[in-house]
Amino acid sequence: MSGLEEFLSAREIWQVPLAASALSGALLGALGIYVVLRRTVFVSAALTQLSTAGLVAALLVEERIHIESEHASEQLAVSIAVSVAGALLLGAFRPKRIPAEATVGATWVVASALVVLGSSRLVHAAHDLGGLVFGNAVAIPGSDLAAIAVVAAVCAIVHGLFGKELAFTSFDAETAQALGMRVQLWNAALFLTIGLAIPPAARALGALPVFAFLTLPAVGALALRARFRTSFALAAALGVVAAAGGYVLSWLLELPTGATMVVLAAVLAAPGALRGVRG
Amino acid sequence: MSLPVVALEGAAVGYGGRALLANVDLEVGPGDFLAMVGPNGGGKTTLIRAMLGALPLLAGRVVRPRPVRVGYVPQREHVDPIWPFTAGEVVLMGRTPSLGPLRRPGRGDRAAARHALDRVGVGHLARAILGELSGGQRQRTLIARALVGDPELLVLDEPTNGMDPAAELATMDLIRDLHAGGQLAVVMVSHRLEAVANYARRLAFVDKDEGLFRVGSLEAMLTAEALGALYGRAVAVHEVGGRRVVVPVNGEVKR
Repeated sequence: MSGLEEFLSAREIWQVPLAASALSGALLGALGIYVVLRRTVFVSAALTQLSTAGLVAALLVEERIHIESEHASEQLAVSIAVSVAGALLLGAFRPKRIPAEATVGATWVVASALVVLGSSRLVHAAHDLGGLVFGNAVAIPGSDLAAIAVVAAVCAIVHGLFGKELAFTSFDAETAQALGMRVQLWNAALFLTIGLAIPPAARALGALPVFAFLTLPAVGALALRARFRTSFALAAALGVVAAAGGYVLSWLLELPTGATMVVLAAVLAAPGALRGVRG
Repeated sequence: MSLPVVALEGAAVGYGGRALLANVDLEVGPGDFLAMVGPNGGGKTTLIRAMLGALPLLAGRVVRPRPVRVGYVPQREHVDPIWPFTAGEVVLMGRTPSLGPLRRPGRGDRAAARHALDRVGVGHLARAILGELSGGQRQRTLIARALVGDPELLVLDEPTNGMDPAAELATMDLIRDLHAGGQLAVVMVSHRLEAVANYARRLAFVDKDEGLFRVGSLEAMLTAEALGALYGRAVAVHEVGGRRVVVPVNGEVKR
């Protein structure tokens, strides 16, 4: 039996992970347009790391109070709370006296250290750490897929209804404010969607692929000189192909799933990026 | 006398509780053309942000006798050219505050955007990407966005900054034409006195480091005394080819 035949015959195993990967790729790819255009790529890295830290904290608490069964929804809730709080602080309300990149860098490095420290104290869940950080989408439960779908729906509604406000306040906050728009409110709404999207995707795919999907598909789409509206669809499509294609390739070639997705996302972004370099 | 479009009364403006400028009294009426002049970082932008209500006053008050439609043109450098918006899409953004959330721009809004682009002479660039336009074309697009809401008050922050002399003149001529003959009040910030000396009706000198805020008619402000207070050195105003030019001269500063 060839690798492909073996893959196709194992549909019950991969259909949920593949769907979760593709949906995450589409969601994060589209949100990445704002992440890249607002020059907040490292905010998404810090948020991904914060989300992972929240997940590790929830696992630690579960182990410390001797909870035997896994409480996925509680873990996700803690992760979302930490990510959303971080998103609002880093993205929407920036301190005036400290450069933004310093705050973002500090958050990323502290969150990374907390992940390492927290996981060093984990006993039962320690073996999951590699998957949490670098991505291991081989086995994703249906509940994780449902969580990603709900968050994707929320994000689609917010961006569908308030797209023009989010675009204007992101593009030219000074003018929007001068014309009486509540810029901080719209920034908070935007970063709320980003903060919401990261934890369920990070829980399913791992931190590294999430950071990659918030960056590479958008870079690929924008470098192809897609217009603003088109770039969302293009980045989402690139995200789907990178996530789903990476999943299938990792299965067929027996490679680590998260890293394969990231490399494929980079390969897909390369033509646009090269065109951008040539001008 | 008509009511002012906007006025500051005893205003103190600044950040973090620290006043950069205090006791500012300023009134902008319908059809006015006020230019705020002063050094970079002198507090001009802070003053207009306070006037527009985007920055809370530390003291005093902003007076708007009635709701006023405002058009705002930011410094061109503040608009990031990596955003892949067309000129038409950028101009349409100017309708966002009046549309409010949940309403999408309609046919009338798109027609207004096309008209605004035509008015500033770049109607043919509606589908061009903003970041691929020249500095002057980009500036005209931003002015069109400010006009698309049919403003009664047009505020421009350093609209000619970084332009070559030809583009600067073209932009200033455009602003003069937009202002001419109507009730549109124009408030313009510039660190280059010469850019505005041939266009504005009134001048305000602003320099937070010297605690300076002085406003008056063009004739009253373009004097050696007033300009000496602004620049801290002796200057003279000459007319060359029908245009006023301001040049530094040797001699003692008159304050």
